[in-house]
Amino acid sequence: MSKYQELANAVIKGDTQQVKQITQQMLDAGEQPLAIINEGLIQGLNEVGIRFKEGEMFVPEMMMAAQAMKGGVELVKPLMAGTDMPTAGTVVIGTVKGDLHDIGKNLVIMMMESSGFNVVDLGVDVPVDKFIQAVKDHKPQVVGMSALLTTTMPVMKEVINALDKENLRSAVKVVIGGAPVSKEYADEIGADGYAGDAVVATEMCKQLLN
Amino acid sequence: MEKFLSNYDEQVTPRLKWVTETQLEQIHYASLEVLERTGIKVQHPQALALLKDAGCMVKDDLARIPGWLVEECLRLAPKRVAVANRLGERVMPLEKNRVYYGTGSDLPFTIDIETKERRTSSKRDVVEAAKVMDFLPNYDFIMSYAIASDTNPAVSDLHQFEAMTANTGKPVIFTAHNAENTEALIEMAAACVGGEDNLRKNPYIILYSEPISPLVHTLDGVGKMFKCFEYDVPVVYTPGVLAGATTPVTKAGCITLMNAEALAGVVMAQLFKKGSPIVIGGGATPMDMRTTTTLYGAPETSMNYAVMTQLAQFYGLPNFTEAGCVNAPVPDVQAGVEAAMSILMTQLEGCNLVHDVGYLEGGKTGYLPFLVICDDIIDMARYTGRGTNTSPEHLAVDCIDQVGPGGNYMGHEHTFKHFRQEIWNPRYFIRYHWEQWEAKDKKLPIDLALEKVKDILEKHQPAALPNGAAEEMQAIIKRRETECAG
Repeated sequence: MSKYQELANAVIKGDTQQVKQITQQMLDAGEQPLAIINEGLIQGLNEVGIRFKEGEMFVPEMMMAAQAMKGGVELVKPLMAGTDMPTAGTVVIGTVKGDLHDIGKNLVIMMMESSGFNVVDLGVDVPVDKFIQAVKDHKPQVVGMSALLTTTMPVMKEVINALDKENLRSAVKVVIGGAPVSKEYADEIGADGYAGDAVVATEMCKQLLN
Repeated sequence: MEKFLSNYDEQVTPRLKWVTETQLEQIHYASLEVLERTGIKVQHPQALALLKDAGCMVKDDLARIPGWLVEECLRLAPKRVAVANRLGERVMPLEKNRVYYGTGSDLPFTIDIETKERRTSSKRDVVEAAKVMDFLPNYDFIMSYAIASDTNPAVSDLHQFEAMTANTGKPVIFTAHNAENTEALIEMAAACVGGEDNLRKNPYIILYSEPISPLVHTLDGVGKMFKCFEYDVPVVYTPGVLAGATTPVTKAGCITLMNAEALAGVVMAQLFKKGSPIVIGGGATPMDMRTTTTLYGAPETSMNYAVMTQLAQFYGLPNFTEAGCVNAPVPDVQAGVEAAMSILMTQLEGCNLVHDVGYLEGGKTGYLPFLVICDDIIDMARYTGRGTNTSPEHLAVDCIDQVGPGGNYMGHEHTFKHFRQEIWNPRYFIRYHWEQWEAKDKKLPIDLALEKVKDILEKHQPAALPNGAAEEMQAIIKRRETECAG
């Protein structure tokens, strides 16, 4: 088995210690940092994604795999000055103004991070202009919005209108979620997608960015 | 911390107890009274002679069995019967509260998986059921499932055994027409394990035989049993009844009568040969007073098994009951409820051999995908029966402290370490969110089960028979066929 395959397997197992150990050995042997990430660590996480989709692996295993990968990335990162870290994409996410619920949103964030996304969490009770500012600052590919209350759902539409007004709408995909939200509502307010749970949200972002 | 624990009680697995010790004694003594006062009809001459010699009052074919003789024979009957699989591995010790599941035998009808029409069962149905159960992990023993109606009726039992044993390595509980076919069948079984000695050492077959309620022990029923004991083959000797028709309608009366019949079997078995491996119990089903159908999927039936299992444990003898057999004609909501309730009950009681799993229409019709569904139900019941772990690691105080208020447990190592044991996962039951379910073509569990059946039939290879065994079995069947014709 190649060292890269060994590293990918350690990620699949969710074994942070082993991932760090192999990464260090590879660095000491002079392997390229970017190759370690792309051909080792990310390969492992991709395999986890496939097995997850097939129902062979479960959410906690995916989380541990992501943590293990992170352990490896931290060792490699300092040696990559000037090179961009590979990510699946950037997502800005928040619970809209007037709504303080964040369990679902936090699950989405964990799943997205586990799948290699760079997630900017704006927290709860996020006003429209804060979403707009974050899009300007972080240049994400996706904006995610969550609401649990029927009374706060309309804020999602306001954010989409503001993105339009600022000429930012075409630069991002908008994905919404939350208990009262539906596919029909997403279509009605002009969002790009509705995700019923964290798994679907992650899968959808991957598809939208392809 | 564990080393500081004292006066600590732990129940590792839950246990269902239906009646008190005193009630068990009452049932026991009532059964003894039935045997002593009413007595049993014995149509097997050797058995009758043995009973007479042992001190029973015998008049014509009626034997009254004294209580002391029953107690004596209960002491001789093995409390533990180790059953092996065809490969000689002793996989199914019948002892204490260990629970094993399997189907029943001899379904007259099968719902065809291709046409979805109900038709007469054939040998091929026995082959397919054996293969499916050989694959499914929660079936521990095999019974014939279907009747091989397309074979010569004089030897259809032998055909059924051939079909089973060639398609599964698991232990087999068989039915036979008479003592002669039983002996031929034992010969066939011996051929599959390299001879009679190996079969005696590690028996992988069990005979199912029965007295006829109320209180009749037939020539064939006893004859088949005795034939097995000659070869140290274990025997389930239990009545199948209709409470309200062949036993009293009251549950306690039904159990008392059935228990008397089973105890009479124990007495005859031990008089025939000390230490004969016999299993007690039975099918304690009431009659539906509207349709006269046999009520397998009924609460009374499960309640009766709860008491009968406790009785067997009181005697320290292995027992045989039934669960997962439903009155619903097709595998629908009713079928699921009837199967799940009865299976969970038997699991929590600790019945040893639980048969008839996956039968429809009160044990007359089979549909292979329902076996797959019941495999998931048994899995769920077994999971439930394993109980709740309260060790410090499971109490998770350290983990709660690490996550802290407002945190979440999804990415914590403790979740990663325990979730597979602490959260049961079905294989065929559906838990998708609506959209995911829609994306998967809105399939129902029974659709997935049908796909699984087809997959198993196409791909699964049961453990092969030793060289020459198939030919030897066929030669034995042929021989019996000629003998029966002549």
